Amino acid sequence: MTTTGNAQQRIDAYLGRLRARLRGLEDEDIREIVEELRSHIMDKAATAGEASGEITSAGVDTALAALGSPEELASQYLTDNLLARAEVSRSPVQILRSLFRWASLSVAGLCVLLGCIAGYFFGAVFVLVALLKPLHPHTAGLWTFPNGIGDFELSFRLGFGSVPAGGRDLLGWWTIPIGMVGGCGLLMLTTHTAVWFMRQYRRSRILPQG
Amino acid sequence: MKERDLREQETGDKWEVQLRKGCLALAILAALWDRRRYGLEILRRLESDSNLIVSEGTIYPLLSRLKAQGLVHSEWVESDAGHPRKYYALTPAGKRRAIEMTGIWARFSSSMSQLLAPLVKENR
Repeated sequence: MTTTGNAQQRIDAYLGRLRARLRGLEDEDIREIVEELRSHIMDKAATAGEASGEITSAGVDTALAALGSPEELASQYLTDNLLARAEVSRSPVQILRSLFRWASLSVAGLCVLLGCIAGYFFGAVFVLVALLKPLHPHTAGLWTFPNGIGDFELSFRLGFGSVPAGGRDLLGWWTIPIGMVGGCGLLMLTTHTAVWFMRQYRRSRILPQG
Repeated sequence: MKERDLREQETGDKWEVQLRKGCLALAILAALWDRRRYGLEILRRLESDSNLIVSEGTIYPLLSRLKAQGLVHSEWVESDAGHPRKYYALTPAGKRRAIEMTGIWARFSSSMSQLLAPLVKENR
């Protein structure tokens, strides 16, 4: 089987554009995707060409037109893959990675990302306060203290430094169970909500495309 | 959102595209039921057996998603054509999922058929 120089150039140009748009995936995954599509294009072009099996630039053009633009293809890979992996793994790291990708695509994604960061942050703080309470019983916990203008300020304290005068520990030893249950609950709730949003998004994107 | 609704009204056969798209994952799993196949083989099988006209690009990201979900696995195999091909095969989880989806499909399509029976007569 032979490939004319011009045909080879067209394949490389298409795959180059695809590779550039796949940035953000693992190098290994990008290589696999590009090689798989190269093999598809070669097979398809060989059958489109004459019986000789020679790969002509006309055959390559037919194959590339049937595949669609590399930009569209790359966008399907990125969104489908990252979201599918996040749904399966459910790890906060994978979910945040997927959300960063989504946030770069739409405002809705950005809103979910910010909400998700806030959820993980407060969940982690709850758990941290509960863990630190036994170590710093007199300073860790949920405190209120006057802020000088007659009002009260609510503050999570991890137990470092000293409590300002007039401060009051709201929960006492209840900090530990409430922090643990509330924190873990918030982490789980954040994960579930993020996955739910991603699923809705994927459904709305995959179905209507032609 | 509004823009999409408009577009859907403009093209009356959009529904048909959605219907095909929704079935594509099951069609791919079914095409792999008897043996491993590479992308172009799956495409040809979908075209010849099920009349599911698929835009060729769509199948590869979907295969990659099925792999990420653990429903298929893949391996590179050398070919006579001079380049290796990526073959896909069902995993045990993929087989279970395909059977499960087929059950859902069978129930769905039999109740739709009943519902549509009077309209089918009209269509003749």
